[in-house]
Amino acid sequence: MSKLLSSLITELRRGTLTLAVLSQLKTPQYGYSLVQLLEKSGVSIDQSTLYPLLRRLEKQELVESSWDTTESRPRKYYVLSEYGIEILEQLTGEWEKTTRELQTLLKGDVENAPD
Amino acid sequence: MHLIDIYIQEVTRRLPEKNREDIELELRSTIEDMLPENYSEKEAKEALASLGNPALLASGYSDQPMQLIGPRYFDMYVTLLKMIIPMVAIITLIVVITENIITYNGEEAILGTMLSVVGHGFWGIISSSIHTFFWITLVIAILERTDASKDKSPLTPNWKEWTPDDLKNIPYIRKEKKISKADIFGSFFWIAIFVVVYFNAFRLIGVYEKVEGKLQFVIPTFNQEVLHSYWLIVLFMLLLEVAFAFYKLIAAQWTTKLAIMNTVRIVVSTIVFIIIFNNNSLINPEFYMYLEDLFHFTFELQGPVQLGVILMWVILSVIDVVQGFRKANIKR
Repeated sequence: MSKLLSSLITELRRGTLTLAVLSQLKTPQYGYSLVQLLEKSGVSIDQSTLYPLLRRLEKQELVESSWDTTESRPRKYYVLSEYGIEILEQLTGEWEKTTRELQTLLKGDVENAPD
Repeated sequence: MHLIDIYIQEVTRRLPEKNREDIELELRSTIEDMLPENYSEKEAKEALASLGNPALLASGYSDQPMQLIGPRYFDMYVTLLKMIIPMVAIITLIVVITENIITYNGEEAILGTMLSVVGHGFWGIISSSIHTFFWITLVIAILERTDASKDKSPLTPNWKEWTPDDLKNIPYIRKEKKISKADIFGSFFWIAIFVVVYFNAFRLIGVYEKVEGKLQFVIPTFNQEVLHSYWLIVLFMLLLEVAFAFYKLIAAQWTTKLAIMNTVRIVVSTIVFIIIFNNNSLINPEFYMYLEDLFHFTFELQGPVQLGVILMWVILSVIDVVQGFRKANIKR
């Protein structure tokens, strides 16, 4: 893959990361379990991006965190706050709208393309 | 285990104190999650590789920007530098020249003094520019770090967000009307030369003769006392010249207003010139005698030559005034 293409793809995906992460936080998750969840759905995310992102979301009050010390090693769990749920709904709507718009654009491109 | 400790230390040492402990705990548990029980060093390395450069991870956690001056402030920063550094340089040069003239005791060789003015001026400009650069950079870098607003859009030099109304404050500069930086520098340069020559005419302008194989200054052209008795109006004229040069720097193009100011400036300097040149004792009598000896001819300098010089000055002045208005009135 050319350098340009891979940098364009990274850029294209960057905006969707927040949505992807929020969507998986309806149930409490800790850092690594979230990585695995996302990878299972085929979404690859840089771990050096993910962990800071989680803290930022917490600071923006979209998620709440708590330490679980009952297991062998302490883990920090993140889960959507009420505000987070609200934002996730709006973001999802926005995403659907964007994909519809883009699909129209891309399809239109196919129809108008010279043979 | 060892590598992981160092990795965590590398991340946390870049973070603000208050977040360190929490992030350290979280990072450690995350890394351990990634590894099986009794992992090998190779596995540890792989896990750390997937977390990437600790500096990058730390910058993700940190709220501080990873640049001294970011896009929000950069344009304003550069504009301020371009505006302020030349002004500081010019002011420094003027201060150095004035200082040297005031402290001149009349004993040192004039060439040495002039070289020292050039040297001090050069050094002064460099050091004051570096100072200015440093302080402006420092202030903007602090602003960048204390700016609480989430807004990322660039600021204009007057510290506000851009609006179309800002365009009204920017003059549209036509190429033909533009005042070049060289022009402004030239103005300041001639003012500096004039100052040096006016205050040092008694050992600069005159007759040089070879005495004992060395070129020596023997007879000054002007009567220094007479020349200096006009210092007040000369100072007034100089201030006007400096003010006008600064105004040109700010205006950046010829306008009718500028042309009118140019006219005032030229009228004042012409009046000053005529007043000084009309004084019959301005020229040193010895200088006359020297000329008469040289050419074996009695000079009647006072009348025609005086008139000629004044006439020439007036003609050049008129051309300058007309040029100003011509440039101001270019329309296309």
